[in-house]
Amino acid sequence: MLLEIKDLKVQGNGKEILKGINLQIKKGDVQVLLGPNASGKSTLCHAILGSPKYRITQGKILFRGKEITRLTPEKRVKLGLALSFQSPPVIKGVKIFQLLERISSTGSLQFKKNEPHLLKRDVNLDFSGGEKKISELLQVLSLNPKLVIFDEVDSGLDLKRVKKVAEMIKKELICKKISVLLITHSGAILNFLKPRITNVMVSGKIICKEKNYKKVLKTIKKYGYEKCKKCPFLAD
Amino acid sequence: MVMKNAKNAHFWQIDHKIKNILEVKGVTILPSPEAWEKFKWTRKWLVKKPKQGYFIWIKNQVNFPLFACISIAHKNIRQELRNLLIIEENLKISLQGTCNALKKNLSGTHEAQGKIILKQGSSLKYSHIHSWGEKDIVEPNYEFILGKDSKLDYGYKTLFAPKKLRINNLFNLSAGASCNIKITANCVQTKAEIKDILFLKGKGASGIINLRLVGGKDSKVLARSQIVADSESKGHLDCQGLLTDKKSEISLIPELVCKHKLAQITHEASIGKISQEQLNYLRTRGLTEKQATDLIINGFLKI
Repeated sequence: MLLEIKDLKVQGNGKEILKGINLQIKKGDVQVLLGPNASGKSTLCHAILGSPKYRITQGKILFRGKEITRLTPEKRVKLGLALSFQSPPVIKGVKIFQLLERISSTGSLQFKKNEPHLLKRDVNLDFSGGEKKISELLQVLSLNPKLVIFDEVDSGLDLKRVKKVAEMIKKELICKKISVLLITHSGAILNFLKPRITNVMVSGKIICKEKNYKKVLKTIKKYGYEKCKKCPFLAD
Repeated sequence: MVMKNAKNAHFWQIDHKIKNILEVKGVTILPSPEAWEKFKWTRKWLVKKPKQGYFIWIKNQVNFPLFACISIAHKNIRQELRNLLIIEENLKISLQGTCNALKKNLSGTHEAQGKIILKQGSSLKYSHIHSWGEKDIVEPNYEFILGKDSKLDYGYKTLFAPKKLRINNLFNLSAGASCNIKITANCVQTKAEIKDILFLKGKGASGIINLRLVGGKDSKVLARSQIVADSESKGHLDCQGLLTDKKSEISLIPELVCKHKLAQITHEASIGKISQEQLNYLRTRGLTEKQATDLIINGFLKI
């Protein structure tokens, strides 16, 4: 197993947000985590990456067989974890290409040709929704990851851009057997990436694990996440 | 890096000794005491006979950057420099001035007073780089006199700040003259006092002062910047500070003095700290907290 999360409880600002998460991701796996706003999806992403903003009160995170629950974010990244942010902060005066050169594990900028106009701009300064996603993708690819988590991968994008981002994820990650965990609350990107397992998170718990993402999306679209709560086949 | 370049300096002084002066066609480069003796007219600018410093008089176009380097190499040296740079009319010149200590613990004093004179229609791009030890005292005091329609692009940067840094700059602009001033200092255990005055004397003069000051490791930084508009002119002050530790202090005091009803002068000032969000973001890119902090500071200091 590449990533294994066991009974994880996490607090933010003294309040319990994640209430016992269990999740397993294999090598080359594509999974999605769906859930309404404020269900704890982003907290889970940041807890996996070791953000000091959150406190793990119970449970374990294992990555490539090693316990990483107390590791610093940078050490987790070195092991092969990467996170694409939903709302990345602006770093004034630092150009995207400078950041990529700095963080690139190979020391080479293989994506230099792809987005020349973006590379010369300050990190996340006045980026459109689509530019943010492309910039995040370029950064995580530079880290030579084993597992990439995309927080709200399709938020703020029109369908054309969702397709473009999905194609890049497919080409650069999925086809290379790099595992992907997609976090979304709309599910627009799933038709392009076809996840193996769809997880549904409500109120800090994963309450559903389903192979057929279309079935889950259909249910959510028709009845909302409230229906998931009443499902007789709850995950936990 | 600084010393590697010093061998190519057109004027190179170490401690009190002139190490080298390179000849440049159309340019007179001399130690300032010698210029004071040789050219009586320099006494208009150098009031007393200087003890040391450079005199650079540019009479013809030079199409490569001129380079002056003044270093401290031994303990307890006190430099009292009087520098004079004169650019004749309509010349377009680039200059790098580097002042540094060759070791971190020399306890030196570098006191420099200078006049930079740009005659009508001339243009100067001046990159002024300082790199000091943690026990040094540094006091640059420069007056820039910009003739009609001349143009100055001045960037001052401290790569390593001294124990005490006192900067006094006065920019005097005649009609149609313009300047773009960028002063950046990364202060670490430094007591810094920075004073800049932009004096818009002539009609159509315009200038911007950009300050980027970082206060870290028990630093105390005080920056007073002033624009005085005496004519129909334009000026802007942009002062920004970044505090990187709890014990440091930054005070920014921008001041606008308007003496002409058609002058437009503005200012903005802010002091912030490194956000936890930025640090966390860069740590999820594999950088340590220290590396992330340094990257954010370097970005802040770029104007």
